[in-house]
Amino acid sequence: MHETLLSGLTLAANGPEIPTVDEFLPPEILFAGTPFAINRIILVRLVMVVIMLAVLGVSAAKAKLIPSRWQGFIEWGIEYVRDKIVYEVMGETRGKRYVPMITTLFFTILMFNICGIIPGMNIAATATIMMPLAFALWTFVQYWRTACREQGFFTYLKKECIPQGVPAPVLIIAIPIQLLDVVVIRPVSLTVRLFANMLAGHIIVALCFSATQFFLIEAHNWMAAFGAATFVFGFIMTLFEGFVAYLQAFIFATLSTVYINLSYPED
Amino acid sequence: METLAESGIMLFVPKVYDIVWSAIILVIVALFFYKFFLPKFQAVFDERAAKIEGGIAKAEQAQKDADEAKAKYEAQLSNARVEASKIRDDARAEASHIVADARSRAEADANQITASAQRAIASQQQQALVSLKGEVGALATALAGKILGSELQDEKVQSSMIDQLIDGMDSDKQ
Repeated sequence: MHETLLSGLTLAANGPEIPTVDEFLPPEILFAGTPFAINRIILVRLVMVVIMLAVLGVSAAKAKLIPSRWQGFIEWGIEYVRDKIVYEVMGETRGKRYVPMITTLFFTILMFNICGIIPGMNIAATATIMMPLAFALWTFVQYWRTACREQGFFTYLKKECIPQGVPAPVLIIAIPIQLLDVVVIRPVSLTVRLFANMLAGHIIVALCFSATQFFLIEAHNWMAAFGAATFVFGFIMTLFEGFVAYLQAFIFATLSTVYINLSYPED
Repeated sequence: METLAESGIMLFVPKVYDIVWSAIILVIVALFFYKFFLPKFQAVFDERAAKIEGGIAKAEQAQKDADEAKAKYEAQLSNARVEASKIRDDARAEASHIVADARSRAEADANQITASAQRAIASQQQQALVSLKGEVGALATALAGKILGSELQDEKVQSSMIDQLIDGMDSDKQ
């Protein structure tokens, strides 16, 4: 993918700066070489954690019976996750236990994704593989724990691997696939979906603005119009990234809830 | 180009520091949401629900009280109406008593007055008759004496004539 992008845009002798995946492997800038090394993305992530904990912490500390506009907004977010994601999927009796987890996932992923369009940060805090993987592993642990508690390890495994009504010969294919699904595909798909979305979104927006910078400001020729077009497209894509930030948080939270719900015995 | 492909794969290989920081951040964020943020808001939600329920109960109590008070006042009002009409009836009965009493007393008084008046008239008539008898006799005697002159100087003749005269008057009268 990057090769075609490169060949397509390096026609000009002194072309625009092309964003590459190396932006997601930035150099370590603090504590380099130690297990606590910090690069640009981790710095953005830490700053976002501080901001999020400060804003939500102050909101929670000042929460009153009669909500202010801001508190109303926060409450709307909490109720949105609780009612539209958790209770919608698994109902109130099952869902109550998982509301804190899904709320944590949704709020944190949303805030981390939003970093991608915050000027100065310009990269999603979920844009290294480990952060989405950490969230996915939490989901993984949670749905296995739930399965062991609600129906036992082997009953769950049997139910997941041997789908009802499937003829015996097909089971030869079905069992490995299903096993792979519950053990690998679910957490990996959660991880890659989120990570790749953030990565692709960043590259598209960065490419647009990089092109705008080159064609509109640096190169003084007829390509300026193209630069203006890339600016408009980049602007639209920035707004779209805002939407994707929410959408990916929603998808991650909803799928986590669905996976946990699958760990319960059939109704 | 090989470097790009290499770094493409590297994207999916977690670095040790990435694992460390992601884990630390996940724990911090989870603790924040589990131990502080959500319990705090849950407490606010619960308190609000309790307050609303309390408010509804209070309103229901107030409604009940108002209904009771209304029933009480209505009962009192109807009692008062009955009492008032009783008082009015009593008053009317008493008034008619008073009128009847007054009338009978007035009639009695009137009868008495009439009776005493009649008695007075009768006695005055009697007196008048007696005095008239005397005066008429003297007058007639004087008149007759003047008419008859000396002829009637005799006492005997005089008295018999008076008697005769009076008798004649009596018989005339009758």
